[in-house]
Amino acid sequence: MAKKISESTLKKSWLIWFFWHGCSQQGENLLGNAIAHTMSPVIEELYVNENTRKINAYKRSLTLFNTEQQLGAIAPGILCGMEEAVANKEIEPEVSNAVKVAIIGPTSAIGDSLWVATIIPLLITICMSITNMGGVFNYVGPLLYMIGYPILTAILSWSMWKLGYKSGIEGVQKFMASGTLDKITSAMTVLGLIVVGALTASYVNVTVPVTITPPGGETAAIDLDKLINSIFPKILPLLLTLGIYRLYAKKKWSPLLVMGLILVLALALTGLGYLTGAYAPAA
Amino acid sequence: MTIFQAVLIALFVYLASIGSVVGNTIGWYDLGRPLVAAFIVGLIMGNVPLAITLGLLLQLANLGSVTPGGALSWDLSYATYIGVAGALAFDNGDVTASIALMWVFSTIGGAIGVAMWNLTYGFDLICNRFATKGAENANPKLIAFANAGLGNIIGFICRFIPALIILITTAVAGSRSGVNVAELIPAWLITVLGTFGGMMAALGMGILLSFLMKKAWHFCLFLLGFILVVYFSLNTMAVAVLATIAAVIYYTAITGKDGKRTGREA
Repeated sequence: MAKKISESTLKKSWLIWFFWHGCSQQGENLLGNAIAHTMSPVIEELYVNENTRKINAYKRSLTLFNTEQQLGAIAPGILCGMEEAVANKEIEPEVSNAVKVAIIGPTSAIGDSLWVATIIPLLITICMSITNMGGVFNYVGPLLYMIGYPILTAILSWSMWKLGYKSGIEGVQKFMASGTLDKITSAMTVLGLIVVGALTASYVNVTVPVTITPPGGETAAIDLDKLINSIFPKILPLLLTLGIYRLYAKKKWSPLLVMGLILVLALALTGLGYLTGAYAPAA
Repeated sequence: MTIFQAVLIALFVYLASIGSVVGNTIGWYDLGRPLVAAFIVGLIMGNVPLAITLGLLLQLANLGSVTPGGALSWDLSYATYIGVAGALAFDNGDVTASIALMWVFSTIGGAIGVAMWNLTYGFDLICNRFATKGAENANPKLIAFANAGLGNIIGFICRFIPALIILITTAVAGSRSGVNVAELIPAWLITVLGTFGGMMAALGMGILLSFLMKKAWHFCLFLLGFILVVYFSLNTMAVAVLATIAAVIYYTAITGKDGKRTGREA
């Protein structure tokens, strides 16, 4: 009779992954130890009284592995299905080793580009908007994200795990090749970009603290910042954001270097403000 | 700040770090986001409104913080918990001073956090020896110990203890001695850091744009969101709803499916 991983073992294995995927992350096998730990209930169930095969299965589980750790749960799901096939002698262990390396890239991409880079910022933005309403919403916004995010992610992670286990590498490849995921990602990109535009306008703050007073007198004074904003509102925050985007994305500046630049700009603007008398002189 | 508050906050610094015992979904991506982290510090220190004001600034600046492949450039957990806790400990009612202090504390905290992460990444190599032994003897308990046990002990030591030391030597010592750092910062520096904070949100947006802007026409979408706020005075929630509608229409268009007819046939 063919061996089959029971539902409860599969869940036990997922729980280990969900909580302890990153505990012993290091430069040698990345998430390798975590995967060996994750696979242990599966291996114990599949190889009863087959000590040599069990040891080989453990050794195979303990090799270099990496993926995004939340929706990338599809990857260990696939590995469970593969181990079952190896235990039933349907495929050679070498095949499972090759697949293990092959799924690192594509499964990381699902989690990183869709979930971490798009969905998380969107969820946080929504919760920030709620928080900004003030009063009791100061509590509602953070609590909504704090409780909602793990529940939502856990449900999706477990379904991805089951999807990986049931449909295997071929099924996952077919799904990826159908382009559905790409289309969902580009629709989310439309959503994300509009929201980032709104956030830039609402929260990025750059002002030029310069007031030009002509020799005629105070009444004719020109507030430079007001002048700029009457031509195009908030153009300075817009330009700063696009400038930082250029430095980070095209010129490959590190975030730390960008922070340094922002500090220099802040010093320069403040200096300008004191020089032109926009700020009260230091006491 | 009392010792007990410092211990609690240091504990959260550990829980919210990458690879803590609660996993990255509950830890790094949840307890470690500045919105949530600031809220927790606010609860511990008994000043949620101020904590949220500070947390939102940090959250905006770090909205694009993701860690592909574990390449960490900024330790958000350390930066937020230490930053907000430090500022709250020296709160004297002046919000601009608190904001300035928050940037100082979070920069120091974030930098120490990165050093600690690199330390964990190195020390975790010890786990591999136990895991290999466990695999060779088909011993699942030893593998579990290597990953979840030893890995976590190393993580705890490298994160909890330094965070506690930072808090005790600054915030706890400050409230014991009655010296208020907030009053020592000169007015011009508070102005500089306020301006700095206003511009830091652009860093979060710039990094997010680098993930999202893949085609030239995408720039129009970004500009659309911007215009909706500056010319039409919509708040971010309203823009988010409009953006969702746009995304649904776009998805329908590119998939070529306009779904079932729901209206009556003419």
